[in-house]
Amino acid sequence: MNRKVLYSLAFVFLVAGILFASHFDANPSSYVLIKPEEPISNINKENFDKMMSVLMHQRCVNCHPNDNIPKQGDDRHPHYFGMSRGASNHGYEATKCATCHQDENNNYSGVPGAPEWSLAPEKMKWEGLTSVEIAESMLDPERNGGRNHEEVMHHLTEHELVLWAWDPGVDANGVPREKPPVALDEYIKVVKEWFEDGAVIPSE
Amino acid sequence: MIISFTVNNQPQKVEIEDPNTPLLWVVRDILDLKGTKFGCGKAACGACTLLVDGQAIRSCSYAVKFAEGKQVTTIEGLGTPENPHPVQQAWIEEVVPQCGYCQPGFMMATAALLNENPKPTDEDIDQNIINICRCGTYYRMRKAIHRAAELTGDTNDSTPKL
Amino acid sequence: MAKKISRRKFIVRGGLGTVGVLAIGTYVFRNPLRRAMLGMAESLVPPYSGTGTEPNLWFEITKENKVRVHSPKVEMGQGTFTSIAQMVADEFEVRMDQVEVVGAATETGIIDGMSTGGSLSVAQLWQPLREMAATMREMLKIEAAKKLNTDLSNLTMKEGVISGNGQSLHLSEVIKDVTKWEVPDTPDLKPLKDYKYIGKPISRVDLDAKVYGDPIFGMDAAMPEMLHAVIVRPEHVGAVFKSANIGDTEKKSGVVKVVQKDNWIGIVANSYPEALAAKFELRVDWDIPKKWTEEEIREIITVGNGNEMMVQKEGSALSDDDNEVVVLEFKSPIGAHAQIEPNGAVAHVADGKATVILSTQVVGVTQKQVAEALGFELENVNIIPTYLGGGFGRRLNTSHAVEAALLSQEVGKPVKYFFTRKEEFQHDMFRPPTHHIMKGKLGGNGLLEGVEHHFASGNVAIGSVIMPDMIHGVLNADIGAIRGGSIQYRKVPNFRAVQWHNPLPFATSWWRSLGLLANTFAIESFIDEMAIKAKKNPVQFRLDQIEDDEAGQRLKAVIKKAADMSSYSDQLANGRAMGFAASTDAGAPCAHVAEVSVENNEIKIHKVTCVLDCGIAVNPDQVKAQCEGSIIMGISASLHEKMTLKDGQLYPTIYGPYNMALMKHAPREIEVHLIQGADVPLPVGEPPLGPIGAAVANAIKRLTNKRLTELPLRLS
Repeated sequence: MNRKVLYSLAFVFLVAGILFASHFDANPSSYVLIKPEEPISNINKENFDKMMSVLMHQRCVNCHPNDNIPKQGDDRHPHYFGMSRGASNHGYEATKCATCHQDENNNYSGVPGAPEWSLAPEKMKWEGLTSVEIAESMLDPERNGGRNHEEVMHHLTEHELVLWAWDPGVDANGVPREKPPVALDEYIKVVKEWFEDGAVIPSE
Repeated sequence: MIISFTVNNQPQKVEIEDPNTPLLWVVRDILDLKGTKFGCGKAACGACTLLVDGQAIRSCSYAVKFAEGKQVTTIEGLGTPENPHPVQQAWIEEVVPQCGYCQPGFMMATAALLNENPKPTDEDIDQNIINICRCGTYYRMRKAIHRAAELTGDTNDSTPKL
Repeated sequence: MAKKISRRKFIVRGGLGTVGVLAIGTYVFRNPLRRAMLGMAESLVPPYSGTGTEPNLWFEITKENKVRVHSPKVEMGQGTFTSIAQMVADEFEVRMDQVEVVGAATETGIIDGMSTGGSLSVAQLWQPLREMAATMREMLKIEAAKKLNTDLSNLTMKEGVISGNGQSLHLSEVIKDVTKWEVPDTPDLKPLKDYKYIGKPISRVDLDAKVYGDPIFGMDAAMPEMLHAVIVRPEHVGAVFKSANIGDTEKKSGVVKVVQKDNWIGIVANSYPEALAAKFELRVDWDIPKKWTEEEIREIITVGNGNEMMVQKEGSALSDDDNEVVVLEFKSPIGAHAQIEPNGAVAHVADGKATVILSTQVVGVTQKQVAEALGFELENVNIIPTYLGGGFGRRLNTSHAVEAALLSQEVGKPVKYFFTRKEEFQHDMFRPPTHHIMKGKLGGNGLLEGVEHHFASGNVAIGSVIMPDMIHGVLNADIGAIRGGSIQYRKVPNFRAVQWHNPLPFATSWWRSLGLLANTFAIESFIDEMAIKAKKNPVQFRLDQIEDDEAGQRLKAVIKKAADMSSYSDQLANGRAMGFAASTDAGAPCAHVAEVSVENNEIKIHKVTCVLDCGIAVNPDQVKAQCEGSIIMGISASLHEKMTLKDGQLYPTIYGPYNMALMKHAPREIEVHLIQGADVPLPVGEPPLGPIGAAVANAIKRLTNKRLTELPLRLS
């Protein structure tokens, strides 16, 4: 990508960012304005791509469905037995996520587990979205539970349910689940850098 | 590792090498309560459902260490012929079981449902009662669940009001 | 005329922990051959053919004054024990709660020659069991008359008490000190109308045990100092053992011994979780000669492949060149039994004797298998059957008892072994897939001029441990796969049914109702299609083509009743359509009407009306339960279930991926009506499974104008 394209991308981005911010009437301080003369670094784009390759992996998206049905497996099939979001993202009133999913993976059954095992809230539907759309959703306080950038960053790098993706245990056949394509250390590093670089969402 | 918990109102202490051992096997083989069944070992069929602090749990997928300090209820502790739980009473009235193997799991799941929702609708039942019965007793089971809800209501009504 | 039987023929049981309990045997058949012929002719029910021509232990009188019946048939949910108790109570003159039914261990000598299966238990025991109970009653009265110093004719018997001459004796008192029993001629049985229990909807005798979680199943069995085993079997169809890291596995915590046999490895440990944890670490190298695919299996099971047998032939064949002949092709998938209690056994082999406790439908066959494997005489092997956590035909070969016995022999202690769910799914003895070609032609009168059912299947009865191979040589057909495959519209001038049979590279066998579900799906879907083509009401279309002989009249009766009860209409109402289908299996005709809608591209079954002619219903409530269960299991098989092959392995291996009907899929309304069209009890556990797939498919045709021709039924 040449410099000229990058500049124009940055400009588009700036405009999009302003529109975005004004549209959602978010606290302006949570957005870092980029001056048009400052190029978005290749590093930023790489970081973004790496981060998104994780966030778009089935280990993450399976619990961010675009309907109310959790997905399972590397083929992202609907959760068996008709399990669904329920009133509070934790399943139905008596048969809930915690009926089967505990605070840890269970190697005997192959049932995965982590603290607060549940679906992401309805506003955080990621399934089927592009990386840009997911990033926008993630940074949008309207949809991310009112979190600012720092809080989002902490969530992405520290929350046990998120980090479970790198310790996903084995499936019902005892076969280890696929982990996200980026190692945990590197993921944490790129997420932090991306936020430090201003959490800039590329245009595509 | 020693794990202390209560099973059917009896305090129990279990010494176990692997604290990740499924609660199911502790209940069945150490405490010799065979009413909780093994069906698949993968939390898929629900035959091993029991209650932990009143919540339905599939015990084949529940490490015994998580039971520390908790109240476990199995089918043996749900009720007795002399003092049946409303769910058991309803199951008897509707003559639900055929082979009977999956039935404790269904009764425990139903007891948990009635704890949360004393008057479940058909839809509530469809969503919450997702164990598997191969004999196909679902038709009678649905009737029994509604009947159990009625009986639970009766029991509540007869409780002296303060 | 009474004959004396010497004391040595009776068995005194001291080992039950009760003192003074006598166990009394009696005879079974006066004329088994005659009964065999009548059985076949009257009801298509083969007679009970187990041991029993010698005096054996069928009844015990306990000191609690109860009658304990040792049943050669096992209880797997079908309600047989309850019906047995009803039959005994009525002829024995005791109350229901004074009868206990237990599965007979082989050491009692009461061994069914075949199995508990084919829905035959009550039908087979109907005559001999009542005769034995009545005979026992008279034997007890003869002894009571002696003890009470009075004439037999002065005695009355009620609720287990025999009274006369101003005194009364409990049964347990009657049997005291009896050394020689007088056996009278078989007394006349009571007329049906005099029965207090038979024919009544009595609650199940095992209800409390099943509602309060008593340890009654094979999986609940235990022996002192018992060890726990898991077995590793090949995952690929046809794979053969090469090597394994057995030494490493033996070092795992709690592991006692790792044993490699022909094509399996057993890990024996102190506890089940330890055995399972060790299994996770075991690495086995298998030789996989071939990776089978579903397409290859389909190819084997195709009309025109394998062994051909004309099952029915009337008139001439439809011509392939006749362009008025309608041809439709149907398929059904491999089906798993998926019973919830895994197969397993607790075995103890020591001092030249073996004891095995397990859930099995074949107590006698299992005894032979274990004896043969261990090189023991039959009498040194005792098989103790438990309640079964579902049978459905899966436990018509429980050769895993051998594996538990061999492992016990290896470690010198009792061993408990049961299948993991994956083993259940990969080493089931599946319902074979089927392929059907239906042909038909309408005549000028709007009725069928000819109809043909050509169908292909894998083994059902052939190769089974309960069927002598010679039978299939004689019949040249698989008698299981043909169930429901014949044309029941015998007024049609030209009809035929042709079976094609081929074995498969994995075990296939009996699955509740055998060929009935798939065969009826093909035939009754096709009949519906032809009725639509003839612009006729499908009920009338059927009635018009059924013979007027007895079987035909009984079939017509269930069809008419089902149409009446459901107010059958071939027009849609409130977005719902009704589908009609009927079948006759084992002499028991059955009709279903399914009320169906399609919501969000999903098939929803709201109501099923079922009419079954079951002859005498010993327990009408449990016959209805069998109908409800058959309908729901049939819905599960027809709309949800399918095994396939993936990378050469049978797949799926767990519930969920092996999709089965849940609560939400069961019809909220099931209305069952029973007709007594025969004066004996008929099989009831399978016939009502027949029509359901076709009934649903026929409703879908009316809703969507799509003819679904493959099970499981899918709209897209």
